[in-house]
Amino acid sequence: MSSLEAVSLHKVYGGRTVLADVSLSLGEGEFVSLLGPSGCGKTTLLRLVAGFERPDGGRVLLDGRDITGVPAAKRNLGMVFQAYSLFPNMTAEENVGFGLRVRGEATEARRKRAREMLELVGLGEHMHKYPHQLSGGQQQRVALGRALAIRPALLLLDEPLSALDARVRVQLRDEIRRIQREIGVAALFVTHDQEEALSISDRVAVMERGRIAQLGEPAAIYEEPTSLFVARFVGQMAEFDAEIDAGCVRIAGHTLPAARAAGHAPGERVHFFLRPEHVRLVAPTDGLPGVVESRTFNGPTTTFRITLAGAGTVLATVPTTEARHTPGETVGITWDPAAPRILKLDGPAPAQDA
Amino acid sequence: MKWLWAPLGAYFALPLVATAVMSLWQGRQGYGFHAYAELIHTPEMWNSLLLSARLAFETIVAGLAILVPAVFWMNLRVPRLRPVFDFVSVLPLVVPAISLVAGITAIYTGPDWFVGTANFLVVPYVLLALPYTYRALDVGMRALDLRTLTEAAQSLGASWPTMILRVLVPNLITALLGAALLTMTIVIGEFTFASILLFNTFAVYINHIGSTSATRAAALSLLAFLITWLAMLGVALGGRRAAR
Repeated sequence: MSSLEAVSLHKVYGGRTVLADVSLSLGEGEFVSLLGPSGCGKTTLLRLVAGFERPDGGRVLLDGRDITGVPAAKRNLGMVFQAYSLFPNMTAEENVGFGLRVRGEATEARRKRAREMLELVGLGEHMHKYPHQLSGGQQQRVALGRALAIRPALLLLDEPLSALDARVRVQLRDEIRRIQREIGVAALFVTHDQEEALSISDRVAVMERGRIAQLGEPAAIYEEPTSLFVARFVGQMAEFDAEIDAGCVRIAGHTLPAARAAGHAPGERVHFFLRPEHVRLVAPTDGLPGVVESRTFNGPTTTFRITLAGAGTVLATVPTTEARHTPGETVGITWDPAAPRILKLDGPAPAQDA
Repeated sequence: MKWLWAPLGAYFALPLVATAVMSLWQGRQGYGFHAYAELIHTPEMWNSLLLSARLAFETIVAGLAILVPAVFWMNLRVPRLRPVFDFVSVLPLVVPAISLVAGITAIYTGPDWFVGTANFLVVPYVLLALPYTYRALDVGMRALDLRTLTEAAQSLGASWPTMILRVLVPNLITALLGAALLTMTIVIGEFTFASILLFNTFAVYINHIGSTSATRAAALSLLAFLITWLAMLGVALGGRRAAR
């Protein structure tokens, strides 16, 4: 049984459709991310579920109960906001206990629960501090504890990490996942950061212009994009116009291996996608020839930008220990035939990344 | 620019000093606190001061009860109405007091305890205090992330009244205090309305004393100044405490 079910949600703002019949369901204890560029409707979807906005069509079900008309205050959902959502006049402990206080729970029980929650988010010794005495990361931990203290039916996270430093972001993101697993509450997480979405989700919904472009496990989203938008939005890919040629593809006069060409009719024009980590650098005669334009050191890996004759540029990411080429050098590129993705030319129109 | 301080200081200090000296003058007996002693034993003085204090309290309560929800709602839901609010809030500064009082007496009718007593003054006083109360509240609310705070409170199950009392008001204490003290100074010093409507408030009493006893008028003026000054000090201290 699913904990949350959004059924063909529709939302229009001043004549502009921001959500077009979006349906989504979350299994029990499942962590689902809504990923997309700004303006894709991910935050609107979250706010409809939270009850801060009313849909123009569709329903929201929680544990099978229709809550579409229920006000936000009565939905019993825990929500963590982008930032600055803690009540400045209350200590960490009072913030966490607020939801229980509103529910009329006894002072002792409330304090105990607040302390438990603060221990859970690793802030046990900071419970008497006020928000302005806490760092950004600590404030978001308190906000998480506060959202969980009310034993919510569902946890909603609205870009909770976007205001934090890179290091804190990664650390807190893993911790959110750990705590969410420990408690077993289903979570809906909005982010524009694909690494974030891919690394902590059970499933990711990539959104584009008010629709879910693709919904699937992180690996599937990354490895098997089903639309041009997802292919272009998630991760980096080199993209070429290609033509199918009996189980291979033809790019700029070269016939190249691609296992997925088998599913397409010969002569069909397609988009050909290749991830940087799938590109192997070989001698010019052993692959598609090109010239190394630049070389970027990333620490464990090194990325080469290679210009191919008549076909555009491709990125190749290789372990730094194996990165021997220098700019100006002519190399050949090749790849595992199973690696490239092929998408039809008449797929959904590409969206502008915001 | 340092030389400016001397004339500026004199400009502000001299009238005060002169008033103080005047309030202490006892004719042939030299200087003393005779005027003050007399004032303290004048029941009319106490009655007028108490009336003004009561009106100040009523004005503060009525003004805040109207403006806190209104400014909250404007900031949260209809920020595009801000120019309208700004415009309306300065109207009392633009419209002359005499037209206000004429208009209000013509328009307002009601039970005798309201229209027939000094309580009626609360209506124009709320209007007079509007520019200051509105500014103080608006600045206070703009400093908060109202939308996030209200949504956080809502998602935790708080009703609107709970949210206003438990979250909004505690975070606006400085603004509320500032608004209240400014309102108090305005009401304590207001003369036109009370005089025209024939109520014996503190300011009216000062005026009355001025035409009968010069030394007592000077003493009373200093007293009024002290009250105003203490209120201002309260605003400043409240602001400093909140800034910390």
